[in-house]
Amino acid sequence: MADNWGFVLAAYGLAAVVLLSYWRFLARRERTKTHRARPPRARPGVSDPPAPAVSEPLAPTVSEPLAPTSGHPRSKPASRPPLQ
Amino acid sequence: MIRVVGGLALAALAAGLVMAFGVAPRETTQGNVQRIMYLHVPSVWVAYLAFAVVLVASITYLVRRLEAADRLAHASAEVGVLFTGLTIATGSIWGKPTWGTWWTWDARLTRVSILFVMYLGYLLLRGMVEDRERGARYAAVLGIVAAFNIPLVHFSVYWWRTLHQPPSLMKPGPGTMPGVIVAALLVNFAAFSLLYVYFVAKRACLLRREAEAA
Repeated sequence: MADNWGFVLAAYGLAAVVLLSYWRFLARRERTKTHRARPPRARPGVSDPPAPAVSEPLAPTVSEPLAPTSGHPRSKPASRPPLQ
Repeated sequence: MIRVVGGLALAALAAGLVMAFGVAPRETTQGNVQRIMYLHVPSVWVAYLAFAVVLVASITYLVRRLEAADRLAHASAEVGVLFTGLTIATGSIWGKPTWGTWWTWDARLTRVSILFVMYLGYLLLRGMVEDRERGARYAAVLGIVAAFNIPLVHFSVYWWRTLHQPPSLMKPGPGTMPGVIVAALLVNFAAFSLLYVYFVAKRACLLRREAEAA
């Protein structure tokens, strides 16, 4: 009987393609999951300004406690007109 | 751990190729085309293994409601479908030069096709039901029912008159194949089994991460 090497190569080639494709599918999906799970972090680029040598306070300092606001602008108590 | 299994599978696949093409002799009746056997038979073995795992995992899920069992069943079914498809394709390629046809509605081939379609349906069912718990329950029932096909596939060559030859290795009684062919086949069995473990572990891990993210 003829050896039919073409059929042998076709079978092994097909198996290689199918198995590699599935492996790539898994790898790509894993990469996507890892990328989504990681929180976004700004990476310093070349054009970014250098970081200051002395650390600055992140929040502005407040001398007096702020009253809870409803979103409407409120005047300070001293500037309010007396009640009639 | 998964990477180690992947590395072992790769090494075993390389050894399997060496055994199939370098060590195993040319078969006298069929010639070199018989070397497709080292790919075709381990593929169907992995398909049987995968669907047996689906059966056990599905029963476990229905009894104990373990999410991990459901994920294992899902991953194993997916890999089983992959290897069943490979079995059908390589069998068809082997059938052309030996039987003179790519496909015939022979009992074994038909039963394998039914098996393939049933597990494809299993995967589609999982994607169709929106409620995850309900989908898992339906899939588990289908996973159990579909497993009854495995003995039908394996024994179809005995129960019906078929073109497909009866099993040479997975049968009771003394073997008729030369030792070197059996050795080559066993190396490929091991390689494909490792590849199955690697794929299932990786897929189940991904499914767990997807469930945690949802």
